Amino acid sequence: MSSLYERLGGEKAVNAAVELFYRKVLADGRIARFFDGVDIDQQIAKQKSFLTMAFGGPNNYTGADMRNAHKRLVAKGLNDSHVDAVIENLNYTLRDLGVPEKEVKEVAALANSVRDDVLNR
Amino acid sequence: MLKFEDRSVDLRPGETVLEALERAGINAPSSCRSGNCQTCLHRAVEGVPPPESQVGLTKGQKALGFFLPCVCLPPSPLTIARPDDVGARRDAVVREIEPLAPDVIRLRVDADDFAYRPGQFLELVADGDLRRHYSLASHPEDDPFLEMHIRLHKNGRMSRRLGEFKPGDRLHVAGPSGTCFYEGVREDQDLLLIGVGTGLAPLYGVLRDALKQGHRGPIRLYHGARSRDGLYLDDELKVLSRTRGHVDYRPCVLNPNAPAGGEVAATVLHAEQDVKDSAIFLCGGENLVKRLKRDFFMRGASMKNIRSDAFTPSS
Repeated sequence: MSSLYERLGGEKAVNAAVELFYRKVLADGRIARFFDGVDIDQQIAKQKSFLTMAFGGPNNYTGADMRNAHKRLVAKGLNDSHVDAVIENLNYTLRDLGVPEKEVKEVAALANSVRDDVLNR
Repeated sequence: MLKFEDRSVDLRPGETVLEALERAGINAPSSCRSGNCQTCLHRAVEGVPPPESQVGLTKGQKALGFFLPCVCLPPSPLTIARPDDVGARRDAVVREIEPLAPDVIRLRVDADDFAYRPGQFLELVADGDLRRHYSLASHPEDDPFLEMHIRLHKNGRMSRRLGEFKPGDRLHVAGPSGTCFYEGVREDQDLLLIGVGTGLAPLYGVLRDALKQGHRGPIRLYHGARSRDGLYLDDELKVLSRTRGHVDYRPCVLNPNAPAGGEVAATVLHAEQDVKDSAIFLCGGENLVKRLKRDFFMRGASMKNIRSDAFTPSS
């Protein structure tokens, strides 16, 4: 059985998803404020690392990086409801791209696995 | 063979450039270590980085030798530098200095062997320690000089210094830097050039380069200024717009009676609804660049099609 990353289509799938996903996130009134003033170019690269991880692709994920990257946002009130919103947008993105429900759930579970690191707890 | 700046770095078989830099004790930031986050970005100043170490970078970055050390196993010798390294200072001589508008001058300097792409910027150095970044409006194949358009600030140190310059005076230049140039654009793509004030300088360079490279798609150049005399290339761009059918010059001057108040960002956002397939260049103050980048991205423009250069005031 091939890996989740292979079933999704690997790097091509990440490239197809990243801008769609980030557009949804920025358009989502629940979470958009956490991205105020950020540089979109740099964010796209960061979102690509996140999606690669969530798609089960090659990564060197460290909880410490994730914690450091979100510390400032936790101080601004980032909580579980915002992580839920991000995962919801990820689900919509994958459905828009025609990804089957089974894989959508697997990606959501991987994204969810970093929740505690993101929220620094 | 791997060199970091002037220093030889030992590279073991199977080792990435990032691992070799770290083992040599060179401070090289990194994060994902799998070629995605671009935290470790460096530039090859000699040699060619393998294509797999440039995945995800823009065509402009690739053309300049940028690559990701964390996924780079170089098959041939490389000399690399930090991404913001502008290289050695070179001698330059003032050739011409002319007013373009009440607070804008055109500075032309001569410098030997200064390779650049129109739209990139250089570091201009006066008196050894006075340094500022200015974009290049000249074209290396047509102009024997480097041309900059410089806004003069009443209390600016460089502005005061520039006021004293005359032809023959010596200064230094370093660089070039920046990826705001005509690369990776399809010749039939809609080309949107949007700038405020001296943000016209890099756009003028890009426009000339696009025409020289045979760009066939429609080109719309928006230039924003506070008042009429800030449209400092008005005559020339009007002529160009008349003689080249696909070039459309759209000056925007602040005016309460004009649509959108004559404000360039509002004018552009009103006029350019469909940008999904456009190549976009944004040059001007940080707020303008950020706002348009975000709005165009949200309208469906891909980030790989948006190039920008945000001017930041010197502190």
